[in-house]
Amino acid sequence: MMLTIEQAPWDVMVAHAEATYPNECCGVMLGSKAKDGNKTIVEAFAVENVYVGKQEDRYEIRPEDLLAAERAARAKKLDIIGIFHSHPDCDAYFSKTDLENSCPWYSFVVLSIQKGKFDHAGSFLPNFDLTEAPPEELIWPKF
Amino acid sequence: MAKILIPTPLRQFSGENDTVEVAGTTVGEALAALTAQYTDLRKHLYNDAGVMRSFVNVYLNDEDVRYLGKDATPLKDGDTLSIVPSIAGGRVVSFER
Repeated sequence: MMLTIEQAPWDVMVAHAEATYPNECCGVMLGSKAKDGNKTIVEAFAVENVYVGKQEDRYEIRPEDLLAAERAARAKKLDIIGIFHSHPDCDAYFSKTDLENSCPWYSFVVLSIQKGKFDHAGSFLPNFDLTEAPPEELIWPKF
Repeated sequence: MAKILIPTPLRQFSGENDTVEVAGTTVGEALAALTAQYTDLRKHLYNDAGVMRSFVNVYLNDEDVRYLGKDATPLKDGDTLSIVPSIAGGRVVSFER
């Protein structure tokens, strides 16, 4: 399976991740899933990182923001396909903290922000028991 | 009757329905009716001990039922239940290095 992010949502994601550096950011990706399982992101928006503590290392999404995202997606005839967050000055991998606090319903895109600028990204699919999250192919616009 | 909004990834277990109408006078009864009708949904919402999975939240209209009456929260006709995950995370922490 493959996750493709279109230019407009990608711009939103990178801009948000760079603007919130050196803290972690988070947001929601909307789009659609084709019959072959491939997914396309056509819209992304930032949500507030509500983690109480060092946001350089952690993020947390308010469930009410996900509820609002679900309603917005339905209104636009789109689906929530995934969640994005950033790793400041750290590679785009799925950490133990990411895995244990994820859910198996969505793609999780991680953006590596190095010294305030986007460097690379990865997408991960947590399994049913949240014991592992294999990577999925991620296509994003190249500059 | 109450409406339960099904998140996209779970619709494959709800007959591809994005909304399911169920009978029930409480949140617990409504969720039991949902998982009785669509048995494959149960393991996605509850663990083997029958406890709701840690990342699953249920909202009655705009309110988290944990802050209302949990499963005993009363329902009235036209209420909407939403299934919403908890999501958090973070980069490598010191003990992982």
